Amino acid sequence: MDDSDGAGTRVGVDVGGTFTDLVTVRDGRVRVDKTPSTPDAPEEGVLTGLGGLDAPLAEVDFLGHGTTVATNAVLEGEWADTALVTTAGFRDALEIGRQTRPDIYDFDAEKPTPVVERDRRFEVPGRVDERGEVLEPLDEDAVRALADDLPDSVDSVAVALLFSFEHPGHERRVRDLLCEAGVEASVSLSSDVLPEVREYERTLATSLNAALKPVMDDYLGSLAEAAADEGLTAPLRVMGSNGGLMAAAAARERPVNTLLSGPAAGVRGATHVAGRRGVSDLITMDMGGTSCDVSLVRDGDPLVTTDTEVGDYPVAVPTVDVHTVGAGGGSIAHVDAGGALRVGPASAGADPGPVCYGRGGTRPTVTDAHLLLGRIDPTGFLPDALGRDASAVREAFDPLADAVGGSVADAAAGVLRVANANMERALRVVSVERGYDPREFTLVAFGGAGPLHATALAGALDVPRVVVPRAAGVLSALGLLISDVTYDYATSMVRPWPDVDAATLDAKFAEFEAEGGERLRGAGHDDSEIRFERTLDLRYAGQSFDLSVPVEGEATEAELDAAVARFHDAHERRYGHAYREEPVELVTVRLRARGLVEPPDLAVDERAGDPADARVGTREVTFGAVRDTPVYYRSRLPTDAAFDGPAVVEGGESTVVVHPGQTARVDADANIVVETGGEAGA
Amino acid sequence: MREAGAGGAGGDSDGGRVDSVTLEVIRNGCEAVAEEMNGDLVRTGYSPNIKERRDCSTALFDAGGEMVAQAETMPVHLGAMPFSVAAAVEAHPPETLEPGDSVLLNDPFRGGAHLPDLTLVTPVYDRDGDLLAFAANRAHHADVGGSTAGSVAADSTEIYQEGLRIPPVKFERGTGAVDDDGLPESEVRGDVLDLVLANVRTPDERRGDLRAQTAANATGRRRFRDLADTHGATLRPALEEIKAYSERRMRAEIADLPDGIYAFSDVLDDDGRGNEDLPVEVSVTVEGDSVTVDFAGTAPQTAGPVNAVFAVTASATYYAVRCVTDPDIPPNHGCYRPIDIEAPEGTIVNPEPPAAVVGGNLETSQRVTDAVLGALAEADPEAVVAGCQGTMNNVTLGGTDPRSGTPYAFYETQGGGFGGRASGDGMDGVHVHMSNTLNTPAEVLETAYPLRVERYELRPDSGGAGEFRGGLGLRRDIEVRDHTARLSLLAERHESRPYGLAGGESGGTGAAYLFDGGNDEGSEDGGEKLPAKHTRDLPPGSVVSVRTPGGGGYGDPADRDPDAVARDVELGKLTPAAARERYGYDADDADGADPGGTDADE
Repeated sequence: MDDSDGAGTRVGVDVGGTFTDLVTVRDGRVRVDKTPSTPDAPEEGVLTGLGGLDAPLAEVDFLGHGTTVATNAVLEGEWADTALVTTAGFRDALEIGRQTRPDIYDFDAEKPTPVVERDRRFEVPGRVDERGEVLEPLDEDAVRALADDLPDSVDSVAVALLFSFEHPGHERRVRDLLCEAGVEASVSLSSDVLPEVREYERTLATSLNAALKPVMDDYLGSLAEAAADEGLTAPLRVMGSNGGLMAAAAARERPVNTLLSGPAAGVRGATHVAGRRGVSDLITMDMGGTSCDVSLVRDGDPLVTTDTEVGDYPVAVPTVDVHTVGAGGGSIAHVDAGGALRVGPASAGADPGPVCYGRGGTRPTVTDAHLLLGRIDPTGFLPDALGRDASAVREAFDPLADAVGGSVADAAAGVLRVANANMERALRVVSVERGYDPREFTLVAFGGAGPLHATALAGALDVPRVVVPRAAGVLSALGLLISDVTYDYATSMVRPWPDVDAATLDAKFAEFEAEGGERLRGAGHDDSEIRFERTLDLRYAGQSFDLSVPVEGEATEAELDAAVARFHDAHERRYGHAYREEPVELVTVRLRARGLVEPPDLAVDERAGDPADARVGTREVTFGAVRDTPVYYRSRLPTDAAFDGPAVVEGGESTVVVHPGQTARVDADANIVVETGGEAGA
Repeated sequence: MREAGAGGAGGDSDGGRVDSVTLEVIRNGCEAVAEEMNGDLVRTGYSPNIKERRDCSTALFDAGGEMVAQAETMPVHLGAMPFSVAAAVEAHPPETLEPGDSVLLNDPFRGGAHLPDLTLVTPVYDRDGDLLAFAANRAHHADVGGSTAGSVAADSTEIYQEGLRIPPVKFERGTGAVDDDGLPESEVRGDVLDLVLANVRTPDERRGDLRAQTAANATGRRRFRDLADTHGATLRPALEEIKAYSERRMRAEIADLPDGIYAFSDVLDDDGRGNEDLPVEVSVTVEGDSVTVDFAGTAPQTAGPVNAVFAVTASATYYAVRCVTDPDIPPNHGCYRPIDIEAPEGTIVNPEPPAAVVGGNLETSQRVTDAVLGALAEADPEAVVAGCQGTMNNVTLGGTDPRSGTPYAFYETQGGGFGGRASGDGMDGVHVHMSNTLNTPAEVLETAYPLRVERYELRPDSGGAGEFRGGLGLRRDIEVRDHTARLSLLAERHESRPYGLAGGESGGTGAAYLFDGGNDEGSEDGGEKLPAKHTRDLPPGSVVSVRTPGGGGYGDPADRDPDAVARDVELGKLTPAAARERYGYDADDADGADPGGTDADE
């Protein structure tokens, strides 16, 4: 590939809610730019950012992009006029969903709005059984009639027929017939989008994909065109929810696979930064103004799930396993009717924001609590607004202080404890509940508020070490530079294990490899840069939930035996027990095709000096008791600087709190590494 | 420095007083344990009823047997499980329990609800060996023996016909050994397991589901002990405070209701044995910050299987009162304290043995909820919804799978219309009130059983008219493939209708039909109408078509927004004829209205 030597100019562009971040690597130098996002036309912010780089676009040879276009369309329900074609008798499956109501005690709860409304859902006769045998041929006349009935306004069509993952022929025929009938709308087939068992989840993913396709097509189309006009020749690549980049054309075809583009890029960025320091088992924590995203990375690979939610919709496509809780810097604290102190999920957001922003916020937030405890700089916060608002912050905490029966500082400490309890629960979900012991992991904290909380959370979970990356504010953009181009292929193949034929399986893998290889070679990857990862989803015969295990190389009988042994081990780790004598069943065959991207060298120059010179003062900070706490300015800290807590490190986009009893140092990449004194940890 | 849930700092252990911060931290911790238990139960369950439909629940109880946290899953289970813990402890007092033990039960007259629900209760000890809590879970097993595959027979007259009855027995026993984390090791009592498996039609599936139940409680034991390690002496007083907190909030909300005595009467269509129109009478007295619910006047216990044991009646009553209060109140024993229930003995809401009870948990529980909410509507009409479908539409099919030659028992329940609300239309096609199980995906059903789903769709016109209409019921048609299957149908509201509220009209009734010669007719014409409670053999190729009731409407239909009527017609949720009749809306006069595509089945 053109940039495989790591030279040249690489750019990662991540569009966030407020800012569009750009990280450029050119001749080994890393540069960070930020430009305001333009939510109504996100490509404008991206183009502004690209125009402001110090490198001409024509010299950029790698462009990775993280986008929230699909995510925002889902959250706002603003997408294409979409039709759905289902098997006769099943047009309402999408609307009925799993027939549950979202909250058992709340009479005002609502089901999610169907992605495709009932008057846009059409049925065609034709049935396939669970083994893929055709029981009733597809009624082609019905498809032709349906094509005539499609309103002209329909821009996109989803086709989701029963058992299409066993027999995709009917769906393909529907597509061809629609095309022959002159239907110009784009078509998404469930056998392409998510060829897996369970019709509701598959139909939903396919419908979302169809509804998003024209949106993504417009966006990436105009972005690519405008960037080309500015001289860009490098291919545009988009981060997928699975943590791999894909060609822009693939993203336009499969927008449902970009719903977690930004968070996945952040996890990738954190993984890379940690990997440079030899850490491959980590938990990431990205805490911003309204929420906190946590995920777990094992052996350098983020865990992937097929059970995630975007807005009100369960999305079953492979996605980096990011667990989100409504705890952020702007989360509002209140005392509820029973006298309990609660934090979030309501957030003051960026506007009006916390009380200390002085923009009219009056409700106490997590950020305000940090201010009261001295953890963030009382003078550094919108200095002109401060005189007015320090007292306003205390005032906002008075009712909380009454409720906890203590001082304003006690209330602030309480707010942090409750917020941390919410996040600790999330950290446990991704670690302990998945069968991983947090004591064996490093916590990598980023986002504006992450480094303020991570050191306390690590203490509570006995995580031995916290890393706050130098680029904590732009990890997602950084992740876009270093991720491999990745395509996932899968098909459900539910079979009792004894019926699984090694040769058939190997042929399936080979078929996927041919497809993935062709796609990657088409994008300029040499064979030497292409890797395939084979996995099988297995379960005990009779169970419904499966676990993925790798297949190393050719799917021989011996290798398949080894895969089953790995499954038992995985089950034991996840659930604490395995049934090694029980029959096992194959569920899904998966292949990941990776086009390797040689990461650029992000090393920073060694900085000499004395940590004392980085110390900009002392502040009273509350850690149980009030302590005189040294404050360091981050960019002045020399390489290998080491200091003990309590300490506060300021600078960049966030503040790092080092608690009493913890020690901190600056590593060769200018990351801050905090040892918590917890267990294990080398 | 351990401010995240740690007990060391922040003064949270001053002699038993628990501050509001610690309370929130520990409550979060307990809920996380209950939810993780539930996740494990679902993910390691074997029967589609548990792994796909999630017909199971988990909860944590303190050492006194009072619930402190639950995973919010099946309402009918949640309020009834405390009775299981009490019965388990009564049979096996703490001094006879050892670390590693678990107690299994399903006897409705000793802590159970109906026989298919197997409840496992596991004591949790701290590191000093002192009893700390109980982890409990309940799972609906797709067969526990008895007269009919699936053990939801519609024609039983005694509990002896309904399946294997398990009083509280030790199912697991501590071996005395502990693992690396100091947690007790357990072994299942082989003789008890054998006894259970010998009495059921699908023993392999039962073994798998029971294993999931023991695994879930093992998770609860491990995680709750972790909480104890973290919080030490603060934990016990915190559990008390968690309950007191919910009680305070419940009482505050009840105090906001106007004092008074509110009466309501609803009816069960029949008991499956020819006894019809069984009244459920309720009188709800709101006095200050407490509520008394009295079922005097309710029908005497009856021959057919619709008798609801007291635990079920209590669960349904708790749920109904809970729903008129703030949904944010953490559900635990404290929520129950302000509620007194009087259910006369020998009635369908508190029967004596050997009454048949399987449908009490499934159907009568819904009617109890309808009646209590109907009474509360008088106190605060905006806080309640119009009548919901009022049934779970239980369908059981069993036989021998011709593909494998092995017996199967398939059980599922079906959603229907939710009642109209002051805030909007009722939800279409959902489980209501005492149930919230998922459906079985057609692809999972057809893979697991020799059955085929022919249709699964909303029923136009089934929602009661109102300013906010009732939700639509469902139609689900299932074909029997290449074998003879035994059907057991247990449903309600085929005669009576879910009530409307505040001037809204009643919801549509449910129905069931049998097609003997395939289902190509496309409507019920030619189909045989089936009773709501019915057991019979279905020949190969026949199709059973279950239509579920719609919800009642809320508010005067004349006040409905004409655009909402037009939209329902456009979507085919309302036929033009019904639009005209109920709302005076003429689709032909409206621009662009397209009545095509509707497929009214009434």
